[in-house]
Amino acid sequence: MTITPAPDVLTAAARHHPVSGSGSPHPHAVSFRHVSKRFPRDGGTFEVLRDVSFDVPAGEVLAVLGPSGSGKSTLLNMAAGLIAPDGGQVMVLGHPTDGNVDWSRLGYMFQDDRLLPWRTALDNVTLALETGRTPKAERRERAQSRLALVGLAEFARSFPHQLSGGMRSRVALARSLVTEPDILLMDEPFSRLDAQTRTTMHEELLRIHDERAMSIVFVTHDVEEAVILADRIVMLSPRPGRLHTELEVTLPHPRLGTKEALELVGELRAAIAGMNADWVI
Amino acid sequence: MRAPTETPVKTPMRGRVALQRTALLVLFILAWWVASLFTPVYVLPGPDRVAQRLWMLATEGDLFGNLFTTLVRVLAGFAVAVVIGVPGGILLGSNRALGAFFEPVLPVMNTVSSAIWAIFAIIWFGLSPLTPIFVVLMTALPLIITNVWQGTQAVNADFVELAHTLRFSRMRTLWKIYVPSILPYFFSGARLAFGFGWRVSLVAETLGASSGVGYRLRQASDLIQTDQVFAWTIAQIVMMVIIEIGILAPLERHLFRWRRDVRT
Ligand SMILES: Nc1ncnc2c1ncn2[C@@H]1O[C@H](COP(=O)(O)OP(=O)(O)OP(=O)(O)O)[C@@H](O)[C@H]1O
Ligand SMILES: [Mg+2]
Repeated sequence: MTITPAPDVLTAAARHHPVSGSGSPHPHAVSFRHVSKRFPRDGGTFEVLRDVSFDVPAGEVLAVLGPSGSGKSTLLNMAAGLIAPDGGQVMVLGHPTDGNVDWSRLGYMFQDDRLLPWRTALDNVTLALETGRTPKAERRERAQSRLALVGLAEFARSFPHQLSGGMRSRVALARSLVTEPDILLMDEPFSRLDAQTRTTMHEELLRIHDERAMSIVFVTHDVEEAVILADRIVMLSPRPGRLHTELEVTLPHPRLGTKEALELVGELRAAIAGMNADWVI
Repeated sequence: MRAPTETPVKTPMRGRVALQRTALLVLFILAWWVASLFTPVYVLPGPDRVAQRLWMLATEGDLFGNLFTTLVRVLAGFAVAVVIGVPGGILLGSNRALGAFFEPVLPVMNTVSSAIWAIFAIIWFGLSPLTPIFVVLMTALPLIITNVWQGTQAVNADFVELAHTLRFSRMRTLWKIYVPSILPYFFSGARLAFGFGWRVSLVAETLGASSGVGYRLRQASDLIQTDQVFAWTIAQIVMMVIIEIGILAPLERHLFRWRRDVRT
């Protein structure tokens, strides 16, 4: 069963990019190779991902678009080594996830903020550094500067229940950035922010990305967000998730509100509508 | 317990509570005094007489010595219960098979009256400090194990997953995720165990000890010194109230300041 996007969907702003094979001189940040996954349910199993292959080239921002339940979080969990694929392989920095990956180079921002309620915002950020090597004073200093980066310097001593949902997401972002990872996995990180804050966070994220040359895998429901941020967009079909489209976005930044970006958003929306029509049987 | 800005709002409330408590106390002493006017002194001594006796015990008697003795015994039994109960509860909570196997032990232990533990303790240890310590231990242990066990069940799997992505070692995960998650459960169990422990230690001391508050209570009652019985009773109530207000409540407020206040 192959799914190809309608040929007229992709314009000059984006061109269809075939799944790249191996053999490139630099290892990809993350590669999914023929990944499939089933979960047990009601005594049986159900299929969540079917034969998904794509790469996250080093230094790129890759957005994963897909409807709810198409296995986006599952993909990130596999890239973080939390769950293993049933079929195929996931590689991180050139190593299979069941091999010797240097996990300290990977940051994961979960779909929920996962802040520890008994720790202050600052101490939640330092948590990521509490693996023994960094001295306490330096941990606090680095955490404080990350909090400042996400605009929460004044709230360092607040507990999670004293923060709004958007502020909590930002603390979680600071926690995933504080280790200065080379790969950042982000699961709908800004879905709870208001439009204005989200725009600020997009700019901030792109700035950090440019500075640090990180690779980012960014899961979102929001087509516009994907277009604004991504160098590459991967679209999954409804469950079981299959690779529907992979495209490269070559528009210059900033893209917010530009005619080309809006056009691409419209095209992607149309493709999604078509995809849903195909898959609702 | 919430944001510092709310503290001033609460102060008049707290003042009113203090006023209410004082009024209740005055009312109680008044009722006691009136009742004592119509009863023989060996049945119900008046508050003035009991206060006098209390003063005597405190200044020339053995009030503080015996309070201290009993407190040390309670703390000793309690400490052993913590040392066994916390790892025990964690073990039972983290190993399903082990938990299922030992599950019936706790309710059975809970049904055994402290008087029975006291009798066993006298058989095994005689009239010795070990008797009240043992009784406190046997009373506190199931409470602490049960609560810590419950706490391990309440540890959020998402937080453990977070620790996993940060590549925390097992020890670090235990210390940074499990312990803080279990702490509220441990604390409420420990509080319960301490209160129960204090009460049963008095029972144990009346039966099998030659010192301590319980021993002095029995002595006073044997000699029909009812005013002394009252004095010891009041002294131990006051001590528990001081421990509660002075240590436990502030400690709890500090440890769990991160919790959203569900009252108001
Ligand atoms: N650990 C698990 N055990 C069983 N089923 C699971 C597990 N994790 C995910 N699933 C199921 O797999 C499917 C895909 O889940 P996933 O969280 O990856 O979707 P998603 O694309 O991230 O959706 P959303 O956009 O709503 O977050 C869902 O039906 C979910 O119920
Ligand atoms: Mg998800």
